[in-house]
Amino acid sequence: MESQTETRPNPDARRTGETGPVVIRTEDLWKTYVMEAGEIHSVRGVTVTIHQGEYVAIMGPSGSGKTTLMNLLGCLDTPTRGRYWLGGQLVSEMDEDELAIVRNRRIGFVFQTFNLLPRATALHNVELPLVYNGTPAEERHERALEVLRQVNLGDRTDHWPAQLSGGQRQRVAIARALANRPTILLADEPTGNLDSTTGREIMDLFDHLHDQGNTILLVTHAEAIAQRSQRIIHLLDGTVDRVEPGRARPPDRPGGG
Amino acid sequence: MPLFEAVRLAIDSIWSHKLRSFLTLLGIVISVLALIAVVSIIQGVNRYVAVRVTNLGPGVYVLNKFGLVTNLKEWLKAQKRKNIWMEDYLVLKESLRLAKRVGAGILQFDAVKAGNQRLEEVLIRGVTANMLQIRKEQVQTGRYISPHDYDHRGYVCFIGQDVATKLFRNSPLDKTLTLRGQTFRVIGVAEPMGAVFGQPQDDFVHIPLTTGLKIYGVQKNSISIFVEALNPSMMERSQDEARLLLRARRHQKYGQEDDFGIISATAISGLWERLTGTIATVALGVAAVFLVVGGIVVMNIMLASVTERTQEIGVRKALGARRRDLMLQFLVEACVLSTSGGLIGVAAAAVMLKIVSLATPIPTLMSIPAVIVAVTISAIVGLFFGIYPANKAASLDPIAALRSE
Repeated sequence: MESQTETRPNPDARRTGETGPVVIRTEDLWKTYVMEAGEIHSVRGVTVTIHQGEYVAIMGPSGSGKTTLMNLLGCLDTPTRGRYWLGGQLVSEMDEDELAIVRNRRIGFVFQTFNLLPRATALHNVELPLVYNGTPAEERHERALEVLRQVNLGDRTDHWPAQLSGGQRQRVAIARALANRPTILLADEPTGNLDSTTGREIMDLFDHLHDQGNTILLVTHAEAIAQRSQRIIHLLDGTVDRVEPGRARPPDRPGGG
Repeated sequence: MPLFEAVRLAIDSIWSHKLRSFLTLLGIVISVLALIAVVSIIQGVNRYVAVRVTNLGPGVYVLNKFGLVTNLKEWLKAQKRKNIWMEDYLVLKESLRLAKRVGAGILQFDAVKAGNQRLEEVLIRGVTANMLQIRKEQVQTGRYISPHDYDHRGYVCFIGQDVATKLFRNSPLDKTLTLRGQTFRVIGVAEPMGAVFGQPQDDFVHIPLTTGLKIYGVQKNSISIFVEALNPSMMERSQDEARLLLRARRHQKYGQEDDFGIISATAISGLWERLTGTIATVALGVAAVFLVVGGIVVMNIMLASVTERTQEIGVRKALGARRRDLMLQFLVEACVLSTSGGLIGVAAAAVMLKIVSLATPIPTLMSIPAVIVAVTISAIVGLFFGIYPANKAASLDPIAALRSE
């Protein structure tokens, strides 16, 4: 595993205020699918850098490659070409099992459809990522309670997903994503299945998590959601079209905690 | 993922589909039930045969004209053999050095009367006085045939429980019964022996052998010689001694087949066990077929389960489950599923054996080795037939799995 130390000054640093070490860095990332009709390039040479404590949104119309990029950054998929460092590890060269460990340790997923296990309580759902790295049961239990309290669900730990509202389910999912103290939170249209009020609450929660020092990468097609971030990366036809600042204020602390 | 987590998950998953899981398991349940029930019942029957059918104690064997005849051809051949005579008995009684007791008897089926009661086909046994010690009949009241009765061809009899209750209203002691037109005084009644395979064992009349030969004819009756070896471990050497002696008396040539038979509890049990062994083999074959069918059903249901839970598998993979974690989860689930089938089979077998032991006189103790083997095999079947579905689950692409509904 190759370690990458960021030496170049970040051109956006002054504007967005983030100064922390690099957590995500891609270099000319490509994803190509070979179909009967020929090759389809979903992602064509994307180079992005995300620093610790940053709050970044990826925007783009459907077919722009944002889901594919999300899967690549989330280590669910491997690039056809190019290199990807996550937290200093060259993950683009890793095998299936190593990627699973990276997903477990470094990435917290929040999905549009929540993806909770229906037959597990809120607490068990949150414990799940901890199960896969062998955290002892007691510690697992305490950590799960802790993150559930963090998302204001300390009183819903024994509820089944079916007994929770959409917003509560998404908060369980966020708690699950936080359970292993990931390097980055990856949220894919986290408000897509929620009404606007609940959606706003969830976005407020993301703001709050960002304030606490979490690095957040959000994928959305909604301008209003994207505007809550510090930096918006617009994708078009698999490439970075333009980057613009969002309205979010810089983190309270230097270095983002 | 730790193993106990996988087991807990598996139990959750199986429990959430109780009916489906149970139906899935029928094949394995039946096969384990068949395996345990057949092995246990056969063991019980074997024990029963060894103890009850022969009515011979350990270390006791019988020399007679027919031996153990298992088919008509053997019977026809044995029919042509010379009878065994009183002289043979007397010589053996004097000469056998490895025998504790030597007795003799003849066997007839005849009608018995007392007053206006009549019993047909009663087993009449002419015996020596020591047959009480050699055979298993026990005195309940009165006494057995004595050496004096034997020496003086007494017209006395020792009767079985059935004969006593059917012929006499009150105590039969010192009452008389009629056999072959002769009057016999009842001197004793036996303890009840119960029934073997539904055959009552208590309808017998023992009379002195000498009297029996007189009323049934010396020439027509081949004598059975009952030998009790010095101790049960000397059984075979004692048999060899008796065989040698009897062959010499009958002038048999070297290499010639015995022209008499030897019956012992072990010989009868051995014959019986050969028979039940065949039954067991067939039953085990059936159980094996059911087991394979059961395994395939488990595989199918696990495949359905994997398909049903594709999204769950995707979520688990996204959260960091490795191939081996998912392999473990689904293998353990298949294994727990099939093992619970095995355990249900054990419970069903226990119920069945209880019913058998209540409805029949066969002592049915559940065979512990059979239980261990059956449960182990059912677990292995789950493991084996779980490999394909588990591998399928572990190989799912996380993105496609997450996207599935």
